[in-house]
Amino acid sequence: MSENAPIRVMVVDDHPMWRDAVARDLTEAGYDVVATAADGAQALRVAGAARPDVVVLDLQLPDMSGVEVTRGLHATHSAVRVLVLSASGEQQDVLDAVKAGAVGYLLKSAARPEFLDAVRRTADGDAVFTPGLAALVLGEFRRLSAVPAGPGSDAPQLSQREIEVLRMVATGMSYKQIAARLVLSHRTVQNHVQNTLGKLQLHNRVELVRYALEHGLAGESGAGESA
Amino acid sequence: MGVTDAQGSSSEPLWRAIAVFRFASVGYAALRLAAIDRAEYSRPDWAWAVIAVMAAWTVVTTIGYARPERRTRGLLGADLAVTVGLLLSTQVLQYPDATVRGALPVTATWMAGPVLAWAVRYGRRAGTIAALIVTCCDFAVQRGAALGAALNGAVLLLLTGVIVGHLARLAAEVEAERQRAIEVEAASRERERLARDIHDSVLQVLALVQRRGAEAGGAAAELGRLAGQQETALRALVGDGWAGDQAPDASGDVDFRQMVLPARTHRVTVSVPAQAVLVKPAAAAELTAAMRAALDNVRQHCGEQTRAWVLVEDEPGVVRVTIRDDGAGIPEGRLAEAAASGRLGISHSISGRLRDLGGSAAISSVPGEGTEVELCLPRVAGIPVASAPGTA
Repeated sequence: MSENAPIRVMVVDDHPMWRDAVARDLTEAGYDVVATAADGAQALRVAGAARPDVVVLDLQLPDMSGVEVTRGLHATHSAVRVLVLSASGEQQDVLDAVKAGAVGYLLKSAARPEFLDAVRRTADGDAVFTPGLAALVLGEFRRLSAVPAGPGSDAPQLSQREIEVLRMVATGMSYKQIAARLVLSHRTVQNHVQNTLGKLQLHNRVELVRYALEHGLAGESGAGESA
Repeated sequence: MGVTDAQGSSSEPLWRAIAVFRFASVGYAALRLAAIDRAEYSRPDWAWAVIAVMAAWTVVTTIGYARPERRTRGLLGADLAVTVGLLLSTQVLQYPDATVRGALPVTATWMAGPVLAWAVRYGRRAGTIAALIVTCCDFAVQRGAALGAALNGAVLLLLTGVIVGHLARLAAEVEAERQRAIEVEAASRERERLARDIHDSVLQVLALVQRRGAEAGGAAAELGRLAGQQETALRALVGDGWAGDQAPDASGDVDFRQMVLPARTHRVTVSVPAQAVLVKPAAAAELTAAMRAALDNVRQHCGEQTRAWVLVEDEPGVVRVTIRDDGAGIPEGRLAEAAASGRLGISHSISGRLRDLGGSAAISSVPGEGTEVELCLPRVAGIPVASAPGTA
């Protein structure tokens, strides 16, 4: 990410009031809002030309699921980073979007500085982990390891240290507090968190490919959900 | 029983069936008079007149019974009276010993009409009473002759009254059941629609007010805080609570997430897995109570503004609930000291509940860094639970 050029952001939300408020906040804070979209189809159409660094994505769109939009965005514009902005109570949707490649999750009620910071961190390539997302990721790894091992099953595992860090994030501790508690550097804590997400997304991609091969869909894109 | 009856749409086919029965019976009675019992009548002309009255009355009752609001006691009573009258007229139309030779009364099977009507309208008991009245008149007509055949007819009539009444009641119950199901479905669809609407507009605006208010500060911050509280409450109402609607699944377990998520406020963050966390209802209630006690404790000892986080983890064999706050923490030894001096408080209500369930509660605190309460509930009671990594 260039230090000088402003971060290019696209806002996708079907609620005009929210969309405008978020866009205004971003513009005032010096970000370049290159596009806005009210639904998934429009987002995918515009993203190719607008080439945003970060897409701020509302999970509840009228036409497509967050997973489809996330996957579609990555297909049209692979460098894009998706920050999911959602209302609460959509745990499975958030998890699916994260597995499909979204790198952060923030509640809509988050305060403005928290939101702006999340956009900046997303642009920098950091995972934006709220306690809610950490709990979802922990739960997903437990679910995967509980599934009986099938042929060639390679359910990803978290290291003890990664579980430790995620539990701390999930109980509201900041990276700084975690670093102090575990006597690690801030960067190491961040890497641990990032790794958990990477493992999950990699596993998801592997599963998708396997699903595609098993069902003779190789070559077709977006071969269904294997969550 | 009786009057609450079968007035729903479920009884309509029965009324149509009664009409068909009566028309067919008039035809049968005419056939008997014309071909079979002809020689038994001393006054065949008057007998034909009776058949004409039967036909006319059949038309009247068919029209009358066609509309639910016309199925009054008056009409049903008149129906029974007319039928009984026509039945008794047999006595003056036939030769006295006609029944001995197997002749039927002039009304033949037509006399069952009001029995059916009473049974369908007022149920089993009314059907039985109507059948008894008609049967008594039938016996009078038979004058003791051919008792066996008359008895057979009487039993058939009584059974008809009872069974049709029972059937009508069953149909009414099924109808009521169906009506209730339709209402429930309509209500839940309406709720879904409302939830979608609220989600699309009201919640968004509340969240926006909350955010803007917090930024503006002062009086606006208070408004923002209130909007935030309402947003949380509304969201709990339309968003999470009914996703699984606290109905126990086949094994009787409940989704523990649905019991913890309502604890969410602007200062309490609740994080749960994406999958349902199934727990026995009694254990879930106790665990929820222990969590509430821990949260109340945070509010009491650290103040309203202290933030707290609740994490629910579903591990193989164990449900783990962690409650952490960023308050002042508990000085070392305070808990043991409190317990020793008889002030049980937190450790009693929390640890006690968990011990009763075969679980455990661990409270740890670093002064200045808040307190962490970890509740472990084993899925099968009695299995010792190791502390999770990351527990201080």
